[in-house]
Amino acid sequence: MKLRKYFALTRAGIIESLHFKLGMFVMVIGNLLYLILVYFLWRSIYASAGGGSVNGMTFTDTLIYLVLATALFNFMEMYTVWEIGRNIQSGKIVLDLLKPMSYRRYLFWSYSGGFVTQFFATFLPTFIAVTVLTHGAVPLGINLLWFALSVVLAVMINYSIDFIVGTICLFTESIWGINIMKQVIVLLLSGATIPLAFFPDSLRKIVDCLPFQSIYNAPLTILLQADPTPAEVLPTVAVQLLWAVGLTVVSSLFWKCSLRQITVNGG
Amino acid sequence: MKRKGFRFYLRIYFKILAQDLKSKMSYRADFIISTVGMIFTNIAGFVSFWIMFRNFPSISGYSYHEMLFLYGFSLLSVTPTQCMLDNNWNLRQQVYSGDFIKYCFRPINLFFYYESEIFDAKGLGQLAFGIGTLVYAWAKLGLAVTPLAVLKLLVFLAGASFVMAALQTAAAASCFWIENSFYVLDLAFRFRDYAKYPITIFSPVFRFIFTYIIPIAFIAYYPGMMVLRPSEVSLLSWLSPLIGAVFFYLAYRFWMYGASKFNSTGS
Repeated sequence: MKLRKYFALTRAGIIESLHFKLGMFVMVIGNLLYLILVYFLWRSIYASAGGGSVNGMTFTDTLIYLVLATALFNFMEMYTVWEIGRNIQSGKIVLDLLKPMSYRRYLFWSYSGGFVTQFFATFLPTFIAVTVLTHGAVPLGINLLWFALSVVLAVMINYSIDFIVGTICLFTESIWGINIMKQVIVLLLSGATIPLAFFPDSLRKIVDCLPFQSIYNAPLTILLQADPTPAEVLPTVAVQLLWAVGLTVVSSLFWKCSLRQITVNGG
Repeated sequence: MKRKGFRFYLRIYFKILAQDLKSKMSYRADFIISTVGMIFTNIAGFVSFWIMFRNFPSISGYSYHEMLFLYGFSLLSVTPTQCMLDNNWNLRQQVYSGDFIKYCFRPINLFFYYESEIFDAKGLGQLAFGIGTLVYAWAKLGLAVTPLAVLKLLVFLAGASFVMAALQTAAAASCFWIENSFYVLDLAFRFRDYAKYPITIFSPVFRFIFTYIIPIAFIAYYPGMMVLRPSEVSLLSWLSPLIGAVFFYLAYRFWMYGASKFNSTGS
């Protein structure tokens, strides 16, 4: 029954986000507009290039890749850096530290309700929309299972990176600047803005050595493969697993060392 | 009450500005990190632009340098909003907490006083980046540098900057009616990324929407064409400064109307 305390937090998160229905609605509209832009932009890009495939990606592939990258972004964005930063500034962090659960876990599980609502409010509608729009070009087979596994690992990596960056806020007292830098680097180097297949080779080599490509590029590449054999997928997932474990350890240690630094103004 | 003149407001603006800069300087680290973050955002935008054009030489008849021109134009066009209307981001919290009431008791224009309180200096980094991009594209395109062309650029740039200001002001004002209006503002903020593409990539329906309903085509495309391709501009390009001013006036009235509906939560 150890998990019960975690799911209690998940439930509270779901109820909290359902409270803001209108905000959800606007977000869905926003994503729809983005989808439209991406569709027309890349359609005209491919039309100018004379159609066909560029760097091994057809128009449909690119569309699915980019649209689902945005859906994944909305799904995974937990505003961790903001949350930690604000908790430090307001002093609320003191109360959170007293909770009978490590802060890293508490923060994750108190957001986890957002995963559930985001999945149904943005990811699933986008997934269905893109499947219909591309006339079923998304392969629906064993790759979906691998994709789900890959997304779980991606969430872990993303959270660890966020948590490391949030910890930096303990030292800098700057939230906006730190967060925007992180966001920009992650979105560009993970392939969420432009598929990594389009990157020049030298840049690609560097990006492959970094953890960011495991967040968006890895799950999306897996999704676009029809009926992959385990041998095709395992290397990607193994790299993800390595990063997930490595970054989890690093972020926990970094937080523990930094906690001595905390100064809270007032209470 | 006697109407106060332009010079009065200008004098007040600089007085408030000086106070704001003083308070910013006491958080120097935050200021520097935020500025670096802003520069990061611009560099990443440029890099993704560059990667895209490495693979595709043109987008629906627009060359790399022409697109770069529109990109620089859109950056400059949104800079006044970034620098001078940044307090719109805080409106939601201030209305929610009731702190907004303090602005209502001043014998000067409410909108002016509210927005003048914060000047976002990190937008100046974007200004520099935009000028650099525009000058580079201008030189590479071999456009003539005549007094008329420069004058045209300045006039149409000024007109275009009203459009983003209008969108952001209207979006911020939604907080007078909607709880958790963050997503509305965030959506308006994301429009600036869509502004740099030529409207011709869209289908007629969306051309209509992005021209008359959500006027993002007036942020860069229509006014930019006046300088970029003066021989093939449409009437809408000529009218763009007027349209920008009208949109901004409507957004301003909307904001003021919202403010007049404001009921303090008390304290």
